[in-house]
Parts: sequence; structure tokens; C-alpha cells
Amino acid sequence: MAKITTSDFQKGIFIEFRGQPHQIVEFQFVNPGKGSAFVRTKLKGVKSDKVLEFTYKSGETVEEIPVNVREMQFLYKAENKLVFMDKESYEQITIDKSLIGNLSHFLKEGEIYQIFVHEGEALGMRSPKKVKLLVTEAEEGVKGNTVTGGRKTVILETGVVVSVPLFIKKGDIVAVDPESGEYQERVSQT
Amino acid sequence: MQTWKRLKNDPKLWQSFFLREKIIKAIRDFFYQENFHEVETPLLTPRLIPESYLNVFKTYLSDRAGNKTRMFLTTSPEASIKKLLVAGIGDCFEITKSFRNRETGSATHHPEFTILEWYRVNANYKDIMKDCEELMLYILKRIKEAQRTLTYQNIKIDLSPPWEKISMFEALEKYAGIDFNQITQNIRGNDNSEMFPLDKIAKVARKKGYEVAKNNSWEEIFNQIFLNEIEPHLGTDGKPTIIYDYPKPLAALAKTKKDDPRLVERFEFYIAGLESGDGCSELTDYYEQKKRFKSELSLMKDKNKTEVFPDEDFLEALKIGLPNCAGVAVGIDRLVMLFADASSIEDILLFPLAAN
Repeated sequence: MAKITTSDFQKGIFIEFRGQPHQIVEFQFVNPGKGSAFVRTKLKGVKSDKVLEFTYKSGETVEEIPVNVREMQFLYKAENKLVFMDKESYEQITIDKSLIGNLSHFLKEGEIYQIFVHEGEALGMRSPKKVKLLVTEAEEGVKGNTVTGGRKTVILETGVVVSVPLFIKKGDIVAVDPESGEYQERVSQT
Repeated sequence: MQTWKRLKNDPKLWQSFFLREKIIKAIRDFFYQENFHEVETPLLTPRLIPESYLNVFKTYLSDRAGNKTRMFLTTSPEASIKKLLVAGIGDCFEITKSFRNRETGSATHHPEFTILEWYRVNANYKDIMKDCEELMLYILKRIKEAQRTLTYQNIKIDLSPPWEKISMFEALEKYAGIDFNQITQNIRGNDNSEMFPLDKIAKVARKKGYEVAKNNSWEEIFNQIFLNEIEPHLGTDGKPTIIYDYPKPLAALAKTKKDDPRLVERFEFYIAGLESGDGCSELTDYYEQKKRFKSELSLMKDKNKTEVFPDEDFLEALKIGLPNCAGVAVGIDRLVMLFADASSIEDILLFPLAAN
């Protein structure tokens, strides 16, 4: 545990709030009219998965929960847990689905991801900027179909549904931003 | 991508920028109808009213011989307008830019921003509160004709008067469960520290789970409680909220209340959770103002703030006599955010600093 101040805040780091581990989801500076500076944060409870807001005094000290970032391979999903493995030590670690939210719909088995580990426990994982997934089901896009704004929905290999441009076909590989669930580009086509 | 490039790619985006024009025109028409004069005061000044919570932009003016004079960018037009009030201008308003350094990393602040200030002579803060209610409704009607409600970030607010009005005393009780007497001492002390004992508020804050460090001030602790427990309730329940009568450590340039020396006649109004204006019955007492200058300057020294040269001219104007008046500062960028339903100030600025 290390003491940090609000000037060390970064999105994604883990801190102790009222005795419980939380992840900083967002933060911004606020000034009450003609008052000192404060830092408003959005904190996600690691154990509770509840999101709360708390405003710190600028310069206030906070306990940071240092995490090791470990590269681990995603093995499989089982009920509410995702299982990852360290390829070198074969050590396995499970993350509760609730800790990573929507991200679980975009993870590909066999891929390497960055897991935040604290004292042997997984607190969360780094969201990749984009994930490349195979389109497993797609209807033929009807050209000139502007009713849908030139988009249609397809199903990707992880089972997630994404809105894509009409030219995307079954068998294409598309890049998606896992945080927003939005299509970014076509990576390869059949 | 710079905003101007985005505008070229998607001309639809111009609409929220054209909204600013409409709002400013409506504001001018409102005040012309009320027979206010519009004034234009400097942005570059050699002297400032010391305010320990603000950070300033400083620069140098060189004369033709190359001699340099330290200059500052104004954080508000207040000092100049008050000098004009002393000179006898009467009711007036100004729409101008103001500058506050270090105000980055916030969705509701921008170091260079547009401010509207207006002042009424022979008036108090209640008259200005009434102006705020009328002005906001007037702007809405000009933009959306027969409408009285505005929706901001999914919060529906009815702008028709009367707005919700709650005193800081009541809000402390209602939302934070604090009795103002628990955190103050009701004595006619000459010193803020007597009326606002640090240990009293620290005790209440610690009990609530807040951390209090040795160098925290009464104002800081109070504001932390305010921001966490009171502010989220302001202007979010169907109507705008005016919160009034602030504790003296948050006085700024407001007049002390006659019947309670712990409070000043200052108010702020919130619409859909966005703080949109800050007004007061103006302090006219030269001696009180001189005392506040002194304590602000000493606080600035403690906080290692940029040294500012105090506006002695302003003090002299007060000595000569500022008429009884009340005024308010409204963030025009905030108003544009409200009417454009923009969650960030950068979305309604043509050249926001971060994007460029």
C-alpha cells in the first residue's frame, strides 16, 4: 500500500476508499465558486461493483492499492467467472464477470490480456483499445438501404451483436472498441 | 481533431454554436429593455483584487523604451465595473472574457471563458435573484418560443419562477444533517477564526468519514461537505435552485448579514446540477474590504500563489463611496451548455484548448 495524493490520480488505478478497494473510473477538477480546488472522482467498487462519486480536496492523500499487471491468456468462461492462465507458470486466476462488465463479451479465448493482480487476487483487467473478432453471422446488406443509416447488425464469434456498415460479410474480421462496443474498421475479408 | 475541421466535415454541428449567438442577443435585449447600460472594461490590468482561490495569468507590458510593467489578465470585470458604479453609471452589464489559470481538466471550466456580469444600484441580492429567474426564462422563450422547460442531460427543469430557494443553513440541515451552530461560534468576533473554529468543523467532518489534514482550512472542509452532500441536490428536482446566505469564509465580495455576522448575502443558482451564476449584495464598507484584502493576500502567500499587486484604486473607489448595489456573474459558456445539452464545455467552444 502506498500513499498518493490527488495529483497522482490516473484513470484505472486502484485506491482504498472508506476501507474498500475501488478503481478510479473517471476524475475531473472542480472549483466551487471562488473556492479551493477539489477533485471529483467516479469510483467503482471492486467487491461491490457499485459506482459512486466522491469529491476529494485537492492534495488529499489516499492509499493506492498497487497492482501487478500480468499478461495472462484467456482460457474460458464458466458461469460468472472468466479463467486466465499465466503461460509461463501455468498459474490460473479467475475474475468475476462483474469486475469487467461488458468487456467479457469481447474477449477471445487464447488471446493474451493484461490482468491487474493484488496479493494473488484479480482486481480487474486493462481494456484493450480494440479487439479483432470474426463475423459469424451476417445478413446480406441491401444496397441503398438508407432507412437504417447504411448499417446492419451482425453477430461476432464471442456471441456479441455489433452494428456495422452494409459491406461487412460473414467471415470478415472486424475491429471493435470493447469499451463502447462500436465497430472501428474491417481488418480482413473473406 | 480541431473543432473547425469537425465543422467543415459536418456542417450540422454549427447549430450548437449558433445557439451562443442567440443567447447573447437575448441577454442584450433583456438588459436594454431594463434600461441598463452596457460597458466594456479592460482584460489587461496592472492590479487585481486579491482572491486566494484563483490563479492568474501574468504578462508584461513594454513601453517604447522597453521598460516593463507587470500586467495581469482579469479574472472578472468586477473591479472596473464597481469603479464605474462609484462614478455614477447606474444599472449596467458587461459581456466579456475572463481568465483563470490552472482551470484545466474540467468539463465545466476553461481557462479563458465568457462571463456576464450585471449590477443594480439601490438593490440587494433578492432583486438580482429575481433578475436571474426572469432572464433565464426570457432566453428560453427566445430560443424555444412557447417553452418553459429545458432538458439537460435527461434532467427536465421548469424555468418558470419562482425557483426553489434554500439557505445554506437549511441545506446543511436537510442534506448533510449538520446544524450550522455545530460548526461555528455565534459571537461578534473580529476574526473569522473565532466565529469559524477549525476544530469544530474538523470534528463533524471526521465523524462523517472525511479526512482532515493539519493544513486544511474551514472553507476547504466546508466545501468538501458541500460538494459531496449538498450540491448534488441543487437544481436537480424539476426546478432551478437558488442557494443563499453563505458562511463568511466563502464571502468573496459580499456584504455581511446584519442579523448574523457569520453569514453574507451571497447566492448561487443551479440548473440541472450545473452551477450557472454567483451573485450577492455587494460589500460597500471600505474598512471591511481592506481587511479582506489583507487576509486574502496573506492566504495567497501561504499558498505560494503568484504575487498580485492589490488594486488600491478599487479600495479608493470604495472609500469615496460605492452606492448600495447588488450584482451577479453568470457563465455564458455554462448557459450555452444548458441550452445545447452539452456535457462538456469543450463541445460548445469553437477553439477549446484541449482539442487544439
